[in-house]
Amino acid sequence: MSDSDPNNLSKWNPANPRKHSGLPGTGDLSRRLMDDMDPEVLEFLKTTVNSFIKWDLVIFFFENPHTTDTIDNIARYIGRDAAVIKSDLEDLVRSGVLELHSAGNLTVYSLTKDTQVREKIKHFVSASDDRQFRVKAIYHLIRGTR
Amino acid sequence: MERIKTGIPGLDDMLNGGFLSQSANLVEGAPGTGKTTLGMQFIYNGITQFNQPGLILTFEEFAQQYYGDAANFGWDFRALEKADKLRVIMTSPEVSYSDLGGVDGRIQAMIKEIGAQRILVDSLSHFDRLSDDPVPRRGMLYGFINSLKREGLTSLLTRESSALIGELESPEEDVAFVADSYVMLRYVEIESAVRKALLVLKLRGSDHAKDIRQYEITRNGIEVQAKFEGREGIMSGSPRRMADSFVEAFVRR
Repeated sequence: MSDSDPNNLSKWNPANPRKHSGLPGTGDLSRRLMDDMDPEVLEFLKTTVNSFIKWDLVIFFFENPHTTDTIDNIARYIGRDAAVIKSDLEDLVRSGVLELHSAGNLTVYSLTKDTQVREKIKHFVSASDDRQFRVKAIYHLIRGTR
Repeated sequence: MERIKTGIPGLDDMLNGGFLSQSANLVEGAPGTGKTTLGMQFIYNGITQFNQPGLILTFEEFAQQYYGDAANFGWDFRALEKADKLRVIMTSPEVSYSDLGGVDGRIQAMIKEIGAQRILVDSLSHFDRLSDDPVPRRGMLYGFINSLKREGLTSLLTRESSALIGELESPEEDVAFVADSYVMLRYVEIESAVRKALLVLKLRGSDHAKDIRQYEITRNGIEVQAKFEGREGIMSGSPRRMADSFVEAFVRR
C-alpha cells in the first residue's frame, strides 16, 4: 500500500505533519492524496471539474458527445434540477468544455469541438474508471465544498 | 424515381425497391416490435452498403444506449462516428424543430459535416408533448419533416403504438398526413405463441406489397420472411385459420 493510498489513513498523524508539506492538518492529507495523480488530470479536476455536478455533466457529454439540448432537458438527462445545474453548466461553457448555441429562441448546450479539450476530457474520464482515482477526486471535491 | 434501399432482407421487395429518395417514412409499432432496430439497420446499411452517411436523432434513449444496442448486432457505431459517417445526436423535439427551422443550426451543421443522406428520428411520439392542440402540432410536424427533406435526407420516423395485441387502432392522422410511407409492426398471437407481423400500409406515388409478412429480429437485425399463409385477421392480433372463418361465415348460420 503506498503512502498516498487513501486507504492508508491510519499512517496519517495530524499532530506530526511532514516537514516538507508546509500544509498542516487536512491540507497535508489532501496533498498526499493528490501527489501521485497525473498532473494534467489533477489540474483539470482542480480548475474545471471542481464540483460533483460538473463531473456528472462532463461524463454525460463524453458518453453522448453529440448532445445538443436546453438546460431543462440536460438536467433531466442527468437526473437533476435545472436550477441546480445552471451555474455549473455556465462554468463549463466559460472553461471551454461546453459551447453555447442558439436554436431559434432556445439556448442550447453542446460539447466543445476543440480536440485538445476533448482529449483532456477523455483523459479525465479514463482516469475516473479507476476506483482509487475516484476516491481521491471525491475527497478533493468534498474538501473544496467546505 | 430514385430508390433508397433499406438493405433489410425482404423489406426492399415489399417497398418495390426501397423508400423514395428524400421521403419521410413512418414506422409505427408497439414497444419491443423493433422500430429502433429497423431504424438503426436502415442507417447502418446506408453507410456500409450504399456509402450514404446517416444521422440518428434520439429524443429518449441516450446515445450511449444506441452504441451498445448496435454493438449487439455487430454494428460498430462508434467507429462509424470516428470515420465521420454517423452522428448520434441526443436532443429534443423543440430543439430539433428550432434548429432545423432556423439558419446555421448545430444539427444542420452536423448534416453538412458528414454529408448525411439518411436520418432516423426516434421517436416522433415526443412531438406530442409540444402541444395538446393537434393543429399547431401538425404544423410543427409538417415543418420539421419538410426541413429534413430540404436538407436532402431520406428519413425514417418511428412512432409508438399503444396497442400491443388486439384491435388495430386508428392511425394517427397528423403523422399519416405528412408521411410518404407508412410501415406498421404488430404482434400477433398464433397457437399460443407471439409472432411479429409487418405491413406496408402506404407508399406514396408507388406500388408496394399488400400482404402481411412475418419478421424476426435475429442477431443480424431484422429479417422479413414469408407472408402469413392460410390465416386472416392478422392485424387484429388474433388471426384465424381461413377454414375456421369459412365455417364461421357459412356453416354455422
